[in-house]
Amino acid sequence: MVATKPPPEKKPAIRRFLENLRTTPKQVRDTALRGGKPNTDRTRSTFVFGNVFLHLHPVRTHRWSLKWATTWGLGIASFAAFLITLITGVLLMFYYKPHVEVAYDSIKDIAFVVPTGNFIRNIHRWAANLMVVTVILHMARAFYTAAYRAPREFNWLIGMALLVLTLGLSFTGYLLPWDQLAYWAITIGANIAQSPREVTDALGMTDAFDPGGLQKLLLLGSDTVGEEALIRFYLLHVMILPLALVGVLSVHFWRIRKDGGLVRPKDADQRLGPVAAADYPVFTEAPKKTYQLAAVVRGKSGAVGRGPENTVPSMPHLFYAELAVTMLTIALCVGLAMLSDAPLKELANPQVPENPAKAPWYFLGLQELVAYSAFMGGVGIPAIVLLGLGLIPYLDREKEGTGEWFGGPGGKRLVLQAACVGFASAIAIEWFSIKNGWLREWFPNIKQLWITAVNPGTVLTAIYALYSLWLVKKYDSTRSGALGLFTCFLCGFVVLTVVGTYFRGPNWDFYWSPADWPVH
Amino acid sequence: MQANKHLLLWSSLFTLALLAIAAAQENVFKDWRELQGSTVGPAGPLDVHLRQVVVPTLHAADRCVTCHVGMAAGEPSVAGHPTLKPHPPVGHDPNTMGCTACHGGQGRATEKDDAHGRVEFWPEPMIPARYADAGCGGCHTHLAVPALAELDRGLAAFERNDCLACHKLDGRGGTLRPLGAGGMEGPDLSFVGARGIQGDWYEKHVALRAQASDGPWTSSFGPIADDERAAIETYLRSRVGAPKLVQAKATFNSLGCRGCHKLAGVGGDDGPDLTLIGARDPGRIDFTSVKGEHDLAHWLAEHFRSPASIVPMSQMPMLGLTEPQIDLLVRYMLSLRRTNAPEAWCPKDRVRAERLGEREFGGDGATLYGSFCAACHGPSGEGMRYPGMTAFPAIGNADFLAVASDEFITRTITHGRPGRRMAAWGEKDGGLRASEIAAVVAHLRKLGGVAHERDARPARWIQRETISGAALYAKDCAQCHGKDGEGHEGPALASPALLRAATDTYLYETIRRGRRGTTMLGFAQPSTVRPALSDDEIESIVAYLRTWEK
Repeated sequence: MVATKPPPEKKPAIRRFLENLRTTPKQVRDTALRGGKPNTDRTRSTFVFGNVFLHLHPVRTHRWSLKWATTWGLGIASFAAFLITLITGVLLMFYYKPHVEVAYDSIKDIAFVVPTGNFIRNIHRWAANLMVVTVILHMARAFYTAAYRAPREFNWLIGMALLVLTLGLSFTGYLLPWDQLAYWAITIGANIAQSPREVTDALGMTDAFDPGGLQKLLLLGSDTVGEEALIRFYLLHVMILPLALVGVLSVHFWRIRKDGGLVRPKDADQRLGPVAAADYPVFTEAPKKTYQLAAVVRGKSGAVGRGPENTVPSMPHLFYAELAVTMLTIALCVGLAMLSDAPLKELANPQVPENPAKAPWYFLGLQELVAYSAFMGGVGIPAIVLLGLGLIPYLDREKEGTGEWFGGPGGKRLVLQAACVGFASAIAIEWFSIKNGWLREWFPNIKQLWITAVNPGTVLTAIYALYSLWLVKKYDSTRSGALGLFTCFLCGFVVLTVVGTYFRGPNWDFYWSPADWPVH
Repeated sequence: MQANKHLLLWSSLFTLALLAIAAAQENVFKDWRELQGSTVGPAGPLDVHLRQVVVPTLHAADRCVTCHVGMAAGEPSVAGHPTLKPHPPVGHDPNTMGCTACHGGQGRATEKDDAHGRVEFWPEPMIPARYADAGCGGCHTHLAVPALAELDRGLAAFERNDCLACHKLDGRGGTLRPLGAGGMEGPDLSFVGARGIQGDWYEKHVALRAQASDGPWTSSFGPIADDERAAIETYLRSRVGAPKLVQAKATFNSLGCRGCHKLAGVGGDDGPDLTLIGARDPGRIDFTSVKGEHDLAHWLAEHFRSPASIVPMSQMPMLGLTEPQIDLLVRYMLSLRRTNAPEAWCPKDRVRAERLGEREFGGDGATLYGSFCAACHGPSGEGMRYPGMTAFPAIGNADFLAVASDEFITRTITHGRPGRRMAAWGEKDGGLRASEIAAVVAHLRKLGGVAHERDARPARWIQRETISGAALYAKDCAQCHGKDGEGHEGPALASPALLRAATDTYLYETIRRGRRGTTMLGFAQPSTVRPALSDDEIESIVAYLRTWEK
């Protein structure tokens, strides 16, 4: 037996145990953060790239990106609204039952019986509407600051996909309460999907080739809105579309970083001026290693041998901004939820059409056009608009004004002028068609193809297009044309949506106020 | 960064504040808390907490007693107090039955409008308080309810014979004691129909009368004629509670509604089934032309006033109902509902009606006639004319009853008139039983007060050529009965069912005598526009009519 010497000065086991217990919280924090407390540039960087949720962010953010006027936080607000709908949506799923027999009753339960059920439902509804608004505004921001230009062209397309997904999420959620509002809004939506049949009918080829009917069938799973449609919409709303959106959104975020952060003007650094010393902790610790990244990163070579760029650590500068926007979005949704209840009308009744039956508000502009002809209003013009939006980054390859609000030849003046043209022509064409009717009133025996093709929307689109071409010529710049066209369409969208929402009554007739609707 | 940090801080605090307000709204600032907090009972202030009646078998958790505290078990009650007033005395204890089982509405809600179902688009609102007894219809149904005239006759006999001197009935009477002051009270008869009436009550009364020397026995009781006794018994049999609802049902049984409407499987097929009309979802009702509050009661009342202006294209004629009648009908309609109570809770009256096939209307001819026939043929068989419809025959007419045999009438009721509104009541689903048809026929005889004049001749004794009959028909009959007997102002004669059932005498005498009081004048007498027809001519017309029998 060999006598082993005890290790020198080893504390008694019980003391070690207590010591370990005492330091456990610190250990947990350190291991959770991987790099320890984020109080130096290096630990702040590890804080970001060592975290699965944060590492879509760059570790350092340009100061230009942190200016409120750069983005107004619209992208983050959209994302925050999405998160709110996600959380409240999951809560609603605990009580919602997607079957025509009980769907309406379960919403009634949520509204009247479930504790805070109505509140959660209100937040869900407001966040969903807010998301549509912020996504559109975010797109407008990206457009007006020319953020779609190289190298961000493709991210613009991804953004468009997100817009479509957002509208899809909102639209599929619209059916779930299974009340009259929901039922007839979706019926209208499904009929719009079927509207290519208008064209195939006019060409006499519906029997052989019926894309409209197929679209409607895919959407509803049946000829009319029923159980099949409800379960489809439910599945799309709670699973397929959110998953798709999360996927596409990840790419969207990732591309922001890969495409060099947010767009900024060339002379951003000069404009920002020097940084206040206190605000700018520069390399408080010498890097242990440097890498030559020139082989990996496009553009200029890595920052070796010169002063740091005009960036600040994302942790905490960017995160405070993002959290603030998120919190403001939550506050807005909660506040609106307290002020106004989500609508719930009577149980869906296929025998009693709503009059007027209105689609969700963001489709009312389209419905306004659909009132004249379903195909052009519901499919033709939206397709033209989406195609035009998608082509913008590939047609406008100029450099002037990138990262500036309303940047490009013409600038703010042009946008104001285009807004006037956009509003004036939209209002004029609405006024004209409300007062004088449209083709069918003038030529009762006119061919359907004419009705389909020549919609007030077609005329409006043509006016906008001609105006935009004129701008291209006048300023000798594609960007100018795009600025004009985008502004015009935005104004047209607003006018048509407002008319559809507030000034259309039974039989889609024009009324100054719902008080003037015929007593029914 | 500092600015964003502050923004985050303040927006977070703001959000927290909003959530705190929302939580307070949801939990603290509830009307019922305020109501309970401000109520002082006889034993001091109320303990503020959510009160509810839970009845698992009825799936009820009714929180109505949170505001109607006085109606909860073990709570102080003060008559007339808005919060503490007790529930009126009823057969069912609200603390074992819950509230919504009878009153409707939403038991779990704790906001007044939510609970009363006065929120927009609430499918099962509360039954209006003025029609509260309609809630009984959720489980119960009154059996063998006579027509209103029968009911009134019974009540009149009851009052005339001074029964109210000793007996209480529906809260009236019972002021005298049969053996003077300190004597026993006469039994309360308000629910005697449910307990059953002793068969020998009259004999017992007579025996007791014989023993008495003074007091109410001598002053109030006297011999009661047989028919009055029968009327009183009929009336007492209907005393099973909810007297106003019984009256309402009796009204329904007098207006011939079942001639067109089915109710619990019995009645005609021309109008909508009324079995669950009282539970209609107001969200599914078209209130376009309804004045006043948009609830089922108002819709029903307006509809009774003028059906077609509430339901476009409605076939239901304007019945010319009085406002009290409309109010009673609305009450009865609202009672046509079903709770979701389990089978085991089904009361015996409902079991007897649904499982044993007992009738909800009385089995006497007058009630049957009132339930099934009165709307078309008139309350006393005078026939009805409604705009846009062909005239309905006056089957209580003495001239008709004199020539129509009971067998002919029975046959008509049993097999109906194919092609016309008259259904085959003896054959159709939800029709009448043979004994009931016989009772109706007997009642018709009573209405006209005329016996059938028997005729020794065979059923088909007329043998004539039809050519002159055809000419006469075209001249004198076609205007009202149609060129080919298809019916117009007068009934259709080209009806094989009619011609098979009718004897030659019936047709011959009808033409000869006409029907006094209707547009059918007797052709044996000349009128201002045509000469009289001879017997031969009438016979040839009958022969012509016979050509349509095939």
